Amino acid sequence: MKRLLSAFLCVCLLLCLTACGEKALDPAEASKLVIWHDKEDAVVAALEDYLAAAVPELQIAFEKKTSLTDSLKLVGNDPSAAPDLFIFAHDKIGVFAEMGILAPIEPLLEEGALVNFLPMTLDAATYKDTLYQLPLYFETLLFMYNRRYMQDEEVPATTDALLTYMENNTGRGRFGFVEQHSTAYYSAAWIHGFGGSIIDDSGVPFPDSQAVRDALNYHARFVALMPGETEYNTVNTLFLEGKADATIGGPWMVPSARAAQIDLGFAPMPAVDATGKALAPYSGVQGIHVLKFAAEAKTDAVRKLLSALTDSAIGIELALASGCAPANALSYEDERVANDELVQSMRTTAEIAVPMPNIPEMDVMWTVVGNLLTDVNLSGKDIDESFTAALAQANQLIGAMK
Amino acid sequence: MKNRRKDTLISYAWSGPSLILIALMVVFPILYTAYISLTNMNVYHWFDFTIIGLDNYFRALFVFDSGFLSALLATTLWTVVNMIFQLVIAFTLVSLLNVRKVKLRRLYKTLLMFPWAMPGYVSILLWKTGMFNTQFGLLNQWMEKLGHEAVRWLSSDVSAFLCCTVVNLWLALPFMIMIMDGAMQSIDRSYFESAVLDGATWLERTRYITIPAITPIIAPAVIITVFTTFKQFDVVYLLTQQAGAKTGSGFHTILTYAYENAFITNNYGYSSAISMIIFILLLVFSARYQMREEGDR
Repeated sequence: MKRLLSAFLCVCLLLCLTACGEKALDPAEASKLVIWHDKEDAVVAALEDYLAAAVPELQIAFEKKTSLTDSLKLVGNDPSAAPDLFIFAHDKIGVFAEMGILAPIEPLLEEGALVNFLPMTLDAATYKDTLYQLPLYFETLLFMYNRRYMQDEEVPATTDALLTYMENNTGRGRFGFVEQHSTAYYSAAWIHGFGGSIIDDSGVPFPDSQAVRDALNYHARFVALMPGETEYNTVNTLFLEGKADATIGGPWMVPSARAAQIDLGFAPMPAVDATGKALAPYSGVQGIHVLKFAAEAKTDAVRKLLSALTDSAIGIELALASGCAPANALSYEDERVANDELVQSMRTTAEIAVPMPNIPEMDVMWTVVGNLLTDVNLSGKDIDESFTAALAQANQLIGAMK
Repeated sequence: MKNRRKDTLISYAWSGPSLILIALMVVFPILYTAYISLTNMNVYHWFDFTIIGLDNYFRALFVFDSGFLSALLATTLWTVVNMIFQLVIAFTLVSLLNVRKVKLRRLYKTLLMFPWAMPGYVSILLWKTGMFNTQFGLLNQWMEKLGHEAVRWLSSDVSAFLCCTVVNLWLALPFMIMIMDGAMQSIDRSYFESAVLDGATWLERTRYITIPAITPIIAPAVIITVFTTFKQFDVVYLLTQQAGAKTGSGFHTILTYAYENAFITNNYGYSSAISMIIFILLLVFSARYQMREEGDR
């Protein structure tokens, strides 16, 4: 019995010692890259085709994850379970950088590789002066209208004109304009139009409180002429079924609108009469992030992949495949991209769009602003009282993060 | 003596695999949550967290403010209302199904089990869009046909509470019906026949035979349902509090309230402390019930 026990303990010791030793990856293993994403099929197909031709020596596997961020929180530092890279919007960079799972991108790129990238996309991908994402494309909200009901010359240039249009064209099951009025992502455009913001770079919520109050107060007049629901399905269906003349929506609405044979028009965001500033929506920069252990163990493969993705050709492929607005400015020189109305509208809006904050504190602000908008727009509560409660909740939640 | 010890060991050996499974699936997560609640695991200390004692518990007490107390009250009311409706409706339906002359009994039973076959998430969103939606919902189409204004069913606290109750009943009734039906079928028919010969009415037969006979059988199902109703999250969150699709109702259960005031912070230490406090709260309720049951015996 004692002998058996001794032999068992020896085996355990040997196994432990083997596990402690650094194992170098064999070349075949080092050229395999797993990329998690949550993107639509057209985007991934374009990436797969492009990379298969650009870096045939790499074995790249794209894996779709519906709750990508939650999965990364659980396994982000475990090479056996985590991917090597992932594609996601830039707004989670702060969270993952603070968790310590992201590798800085610039040391993995050739010098000058980012010269032609739109500054907005690089700003969005930078957290605490370090670039953590290689931007691929960006999305932002657009003012869209159905030409069957709203003529080109009727498109409102200002928010007051939009309100007048809504008053004249809303009723009997029809709406002049609809949007997801009580969600933070959509409402941010109105707050920015009044010169306010949801959170500043240092994590202070509502730095200009009066601007937020003014935006809420003014926006409430529009909400009164929109449906009681604020969720995507209702707004999307109303526009697609021709029950709403115009909307502010993302590029993801465009394929279904075209499938529904809507004569779709795009227009610049209307300007707020009181401030002269246009409604400035958030922009989301979609890009590729490298996990720390992949940057260390598969450096060559990661470098090759990133080098291929800095080429303007991938931006062109993505724009043609699914109407994405490329992060690389050179991609817009392609004639087909230059003639794409959707892509060009997004590029125009990107000039005024505000990148979503990428600091970890923004995670709680989505809920805080959602609650504030719900209280004001859907429960009819007093704006000042609701704002004070929201500010207190924001401070409490930000404090609770640490 | 030796034989008894051997029997005990054999019993443990047989139940060992299931005990290990229970330990892995139930006990380990609880112990791990308790451990995390004593650490500073958050975004800034994700992998390098350290034990900080009871700090998270002291901070968690700030979450248990007036908002939490009203959520606790609403949750208790929610549980009581749901349980009453579940028991009454299930009992009525099962009684009707067990009437001898009823035809197509199996078909009705299958139909009544239907909500159970659908994923809860899908059912809840179908109710939200198909029934309660202001623009497209069936209820408002009926209201329109009757010449009434469209109603925002999920926007006020009371109507949201009622709508959530309806959806919860839809989801929970199949389980209660199945258990109650099994219990009712296990009652010996001769009791009823004797009672009929003695001239007992339907009400008397129900009061003196049916209810006493099914109570011990359905008791575990009732206890399970009380707890699942008390810690309900999906129905209330998806119908009224879902991010990006809030309806204006302030109805919160303790879990939806804790989610909005702690879990979104990515502070796992702090959130685990809140989970542990809620867990202890449920444990106290459970212990009180068990003790009362022991007393009754």
